[in-house]
Amino acid sequence: MAVIEIENLSKSYRVYQKREGLWASIRGLFSRQYRDVQAVKSVSLRVEKGEFVAFLGPNGAGKTTTLKLLSGIIYPSGGTARVMGFVPWERKIAYRRRFALVMGQKNQLWWDLPAQESFRLHQQIYRIEPSQFQATLDELTELLDIKQLLAQPVRELSLGERMKMELTAALLHQPEVLYLDEPTIGLDVVAQHRIQQFLKHYQHQRQITIMLSSHYMKDVAALCQRVVIITHGQIRYDGSLSGIIDRFSGQKLVTLTLADEAPIAGLERFGQVVETQLPKVKIRIDRTQVAKALAAILAQHAIEDIAVEDPPLEEVIADLFSQVQHGAPVEPEAAIAR
Amino acid sequence: MYSRLATWWTILSISLQERFVYRGDFALGTLMRFLPIVTQIFLWYAIFQTRGFEPLNGFTYQDMVAYFLLTMVGRAFSSMPGLSSQIAAQIRTGEIKKYLTQPIDLVGFFLLSRAAHKLVYYVVAIGPFALVFFLCRSFFDGWPSATTMLAFAASLVMGFLLGFFLEASMGLVGFWLLEVSSLLFIYMLFSFFLSGHMFPLDMLPEPWHTIVTYTPLQYLAYFPAAVFLEKVTGWDLVRGLALELAWVVFLALLARWLLARGIRRYSGYGG
Amino acid sequence: MTGPSYLGVLAMFARNSLVRDMTFRANFLIECVTSLTWMLMNLGFYLLIFHYTESLGPDTGWGQDEFFAFLATTMLVNSLVQTFFMPNCEEVNELIRTGGLDFALLKPIDTQFLISLRKMEWSSLSNFAGGLCLLAYSVYQLTTGSENPVVLTPVVAALYVFYAGCGVAILYSLMIALAATSIWLGQNRSLYDFWFYITNFSRYPMEIYDGAWGLPLRYVCLYLVPVLVVVNVPARLLAQPLRPEPSLGVPLALFAVAATAGCLLASRLVFVQALRSYRSASS
Repeated sequence: MAVIEIENLSKSYRVYQKREGLWASIRGLFSRQYRDVQAVKSVSLRVEKGEFVAFLGPNGAGKTTTLKLLSGIIYPSGGTARVMGFVPWERKIAYRRRFALVMGQKNQLWWDLPAQESFRLHQQIYRIEPSQFQATLDELTELLDIKQLLAQPVRELSLGERMKMELTAALLHQPEVLYLDEPTIGLDVVAQHRIQQFLKHYQHQRQITIMLSSHYMKDVAALCQRVVIITHGQIRYDGSLSGIIDRFSGQKLVTLTLADEAPIAGLERFGQVVETQLPKVKIRIDRTQVAKALAAILAQHAIEDIAVEDPPLEEVIADLFSQVQHGAPVEPEAAIAR
Repeated sequence: MYSRLATWWTILSISLQERFVYRGDFALGTLMRFLPIVTQIFLWYAIFQTRGFEPLNGFTYQDMVAYFLLTMVGRAFSSMPGLSSQIAAQIRTGEIKKYLTQPIDLVGFFLLSRAAHKLVYYVVAIGPFALVFFLCRSFFDGWPSATTMLAFAASLVMGFLLGFFLEASMGLVGFWLLEVSSLLFIYMLFSFFLSGHMFPLDMLPEPWHTIVTYTPLQYLAYFPAAVFLEKVTGWDLVRGLALELAWVVFLALLARWLLARGIRRYSGYGG
Repeated sequence: MTGPSYLGVLAMFARNSLVRDMTFRANFLIECVTSLTWMLMNLGFYLLIFHYTESLGPDTGWGQDEFFAFLATTMLVNSLVQTFFMPNCEEVNELIRTGGLDFALLKPIDTQFLISLRKMEWSSLSNFAGGLCLLAYSVYQLTTGSENPVVLTPVVAALYVFYAGCGVAILYSLMIALAATSIWLGQNRSLYDFWFYITNFSRYPMEIYDGAWGLPLRYVCLYLVPVLVVVNVPARLLAQPLRPEPSLGVPLALFAVAATAGCLLASRLVFVQALRSYRSASS
């Protein structure tokens, strides 16, 4: 039984187009031009209980919008979604008790008060039993190592500490589904790592369903078995992390260790030479040409060792995003067929 | 010189654009501003009715209505909504730093952008204002003399400058005080009652009346209206305008001084 | 599964607001003093007016003492609105801009309740105290006056409290409905001004809206946007129960109740409708 079922979910916004210049803005007083922006285009997705799914995509790809739709914050312009049997945008109280959303760029705790006051407010709002509340709070503060910060006004906390508090607040009522929108944004490497460790541990222990949106590969690689890549509001990929390379990278990275230290001329015709550190040479070769190229190289030159690798994941994804950002249509099928 | 003008024009036009974006607010705000006057007029009508329409310190009922309409004009020039808090906020957030590296200073920048705001406001507001004054023309005894009109215009322009430098100075106090909002509130309080927009200041008993005629607050609303209605004439008028000019010069110097001292203090902290 | 404890949450809001106010104690005191000064200035203005006239309008019965009871009612009603609702409704804009509304929508509790009562401005209660003092003074003057002293019975007192409460509810409805429109209009900076201008009509006895222009205005502000009910009904009940015209008869008293219910309902509809079209700030 799937916890989250999304079918053909779409969301479009009407955006006022501001025109450049003084005269244009005066004209804007009387007539305005609007443009429809499709933030999410016909997205379909099924998530099973206990899955940890990553939403990966460049800025403005529709990750946050999808999470907001699933939280019921905004209404879709088309399609359906069910989470634990609820339609999110009906905003049923019973639904709201069973999930949580954490947004890395926004905070919900009272700025001028110690976090524990906000937690107590949560206790009232969610009607958490005092004993259960205390137990959960103790556990979370222990895991996140924030016990000593509870009495400090939130405004005096560092960004990383604040995020830990936000996570605590979101988990107090023990949600079954957790949406995380860029939870590590702006944090330093150590704080990022801490949060990742915590999420991994917590998810593993409780078997809750988590959807995480991020554009940090590190988050995704550390946490998720399943990755959904979304660009321009559409799903481009849904599968395992390693599958991304097969799907989007048409190339292999070939490292040759030469028998002698003399450079070989003419390697460029097989592919792009990435690095030359004699006796090692790294070349990027089209996936389909690897066998042929290697045969040719081995036939002509004395080679001591050969390593054929996939290019690093980050690179593949960065390439994919930059293609998208520059407006080139991404057609994974074509890439494979080539 | 030319490049200076170009800078000013850019600031002016950016401010204008910014204003036009919030058009809904704009039209609504202008119309709404006349609503409190309506209550005022009914209140004073009730009072005059009880008095059998006997003039009140030289003000007839007609004068009173005309007075309130005219204070709207005065305030359209002298009020600077949000200026002080805007300046104080820029000081607090350190945004002020950008003026230290640019060839224009903070006070100059704000003066221009406010002038732009006012210009846009007049373009939009002239319609509603003309309509209201036309509908209420029976409360006026025709146009006053050319001299009076000239004095009225001078009092309005100086009212703009006075209002600007007064609020700017208060905002600049933000260099020393982190939270200027309570200061602002006290200022608002006094200007609400002592600028004359609740009642003509002539109604105040002595010695308050004399004291108030020396403060700058009267120029925000009372003075221009009184000039138009020819309640202030002859030597009193000359003296009033001279005093207003003196206040403008004093407050302009004060704002400059505060800015210079404030920036020195600010740089002393190492930004 | 139990629903949220609304009273418990409310107590929590009150407590947290107080804790917050107390961490900025100096600010709190300054706010108390300034709002009391504001009140005194207002009082000064009306003293000045009653220096020039005996009553507001001939034969309306609103002499200085009666009007001061009216003014005290205005202060009480407004201070309650300022304490509980104003800081929240003013912030709706900010909530939309910063995404705070997103969080409100996630909570398993009525969103309107959460948005309307999150913060309390305790310093505004100083005006409430000021209003009580003025009320006590004017009631004393009215009940011990030489001619036609007003008789204050427990029933009148209870009705006064009830109708003042209705007044608060009407003002709140207007305010939250206006705040909700900022979800539609995006930024809506004149909200506060608009509210101020509308409620401005409620600050005077309805008799002053008379004549060819005044009567239509009176009816609009009584029946269409019932701001004239807010202060007029409780104040009249207390200060001039015996005046026949325009009387606080049973019809007006019943109308006031209906108007309150209508306003609350209408504002609820506006709020729910506005939330439907909420599009959330892009992050």
